[in-house]
Amino acid sequence: MSIELFPFYVAATVSLVSTLLAVSRYSPTHALIYFIISLLATAVVFFLLGAPFAAVLEIMVYAGAIVVLFLFVVMMLNLGSRGDELAHQWLKPKMWIMPSILCLILFFELVYVLSGTSTPITGTAVSPKEVGIQLFGPYVLAVEIASMLLLAALVGAYHLGRRYLSDTRGQS
Amino acid sequence: MSEQQLVAILPHILLSALILIQMMVIAFARNLMTTVVISVIALILTGLAFMPAHSLIPIAVTPLIVLDGYAIFYSGLILMSATAVTLMAYDYFKDRGERQDEFFMLLLLATLGALILVCSSHFASLILGLELLGVSLYTMISYPQKGLLTLEAALKYLILSGVSSTFILFGTALIYAISGSLGFAELATIGSAENGTSELFLAAGSALIFGGIMFKLSLAPFHMWTPDVYEGAPAPVTAFVATVSKGAIFAITLRLFTSSGLIETSSILTGLSIVAILSMLAGNLLALRQDNVKRILAYSSIAHLGYLMVAFITAGMIGGKALAVESSSYFLFAYFITTLGAFGVVTIVSLRDHEKDAGDISYYEGLFWHRPLLAMMFTLTLLSLAGIPLTVGFIGKFYIFTAGVTTTLWLLLLAVIAGSGIGLFYYLRIIFAMTKRTDAGASEIEIPLAGGWAVAAISAAMLLFGIYPAPIINLINNLVSSIA
Repeated sequence: MSIELFPFYVAATVSLVSTLLAVSRYSPTHALIYFIISLLATAVVFFLLGAPFAAVLEIMVYAGAIVVLFLFVVMMLNLGSRGDELAHQWLKPKMWIMPSILCLILFFELVYVLSGTSTPITGTAVSPKEVGIQLFGPYVLAVEIASMLLLAALVGAYHLGRRYLSDTRGQS
Repeated sequence: MSEQQLVAILPHILLSALILIQMMVIAFARNLMTTVVISVIALILTGLAFMPAHSLIPIAVTPLIVLDGYAIFYSGLILMSATAVTLMAYDYFKDRGERQDEFFMLLLLATLGALILVCSSHFASLILGLELLGVSLYTMISYPQKGLLTLEAALKYLILSGVSSTFILFGTALIYAISGSLGFAELATIGSAENGTSELFLAAGSALIFGGIMFKLSLAPFHMWTPDVYEGAPAPVTAFVATVSKGAIFAITLRLFTSSGLIETSSILTGLSIVAILSMLAGNLLALRQDNVKRILAYSSIAHLGYLMVAFITAGMIGGKALAVESSSYFLFAYFITTLGAFGVVTIVSLRDHEKDAGDISYYEGLFWHRPLLAMMFTLTLLSLAGIPLTVGFIGKFYIFTAGVTTTLWLLLLAVIAGSGIGLFYYLRIIFAMTKRTDAGASEIEIPLAGGWAVAAISAAMLLFGIYPAPIINLINNLVSSIA
């Protein structure tokens, strides 16, 4: 194993370990925290492969927006006082040890990578501008199809959610 | 993009625009009749929009889309089925409460996804089309939101479809890792290069892609979801899943594997043969013990996809490519109209009971005495599914046979014969149930206007093209041979 590949293997290991922990946790909150770490590790891998834009998107869209949505859903499940007890149980200080270790590994790795030379381990770095040119050049139809995909998801979510809302309102 | 390229994707642009118009109409003036009329007009206009493109084919529009005769043929099939499903769904949903309009919008969106799928020449458009189709279907399956069966169907489809999409994505990533390109045509040059590592990557990648696709095509051993989804989904949606969704995915698989040359790997062909034999036997054997017409049709569709795989495997044999494309296209045409006819009848029988669909075989008892015409049509579709002469299903199966004989796939042909023999039993069982003299079962069935005409037209086509298949065969030879 050459020294240039070392950061990649570290990040990949962190991502694998945290994903395994995420799918094997009993409580959803713990799983979510490991899931966030898994996404952060994937972002580091993207960065190492010369795709800083994808890395940033990974953190913003997945770790940011989508996980926050997950948390909202967990909160809105509205477990009542039993839920509060559970939350206290789940968020004991002890459970933070493992995520912290994984995060620290990633942090030190990032410092190490940023302090060194900034060439990617393979291929060439792709800047956001190049991504944009590709998206609005040869892949413009993909963007359009993706917009219709979002429309389908939006209409579906609206339809399924509306009935649920009107049902719960009718009961209360 | 040049003017010609814009003309080539005019159907897709037109359909997208009409979906947006329909959405606005639904938002401001909700009326089921208007929505359905817009849907039907959109589907017909989209079909007509392929006319100006016809003189330009084959034409590549950006790396993502290619419009050729093959794409036009399958687009026509998809639009035809989508129109039939729209008419059935109108009857099905019109008396089931308010706010049924979004369904027709989702139907158009799913159709757009299928249209993109059949003309994609790139993994990006393949996956986007697949997801557009899938995401629309999740909601369509759970649209009535009544009962646990529907919920179970939607959840199963959501999770399994999601998992199979990740399989396809991972396989794509492996192929990209070794080839550096996502276009199908570029893969052909990589595949021919003799190299141990690249061969391993290509084989692993195509195996993963096939795993995902077999889920979506409900081939054994990935067929577990099919009966539950078929039973739980509303009957018109089941028709859509069985025809448009499976047909489009099969069409793009055939294009992907023939134009990239991936199919010529022998290990893949062995795996596919096992899958085909398993599907034919499992589908037919499992259907024997079913009492639910929708589940029987689900198992029958598993078996039919197994027959279709025989044609697919032919494409990997020496000199079999043209025959494979021709036979699978005719078989799919036959399968489309037969399945639409079957589910059209199920939809009409289901109109009586708003709580659940007419799954159980007792719904059909005495249908011959109360609604002879409807029973005749259903008999015709069942005979066509069984592959009895004078129906379109016979010609389809005959084509599969020819393909198998030409490339000497004897073991597969044996499975086709065994499967067809077993299949007769459960098709005839439904027919016998319909001839029972009883007053309880089918007495109060009203035949609706839209769905009734749709089923009548489908039955007529089934008989016509079963007796005189030449027009379709000529059409296939003119259009579809472009990828072979």
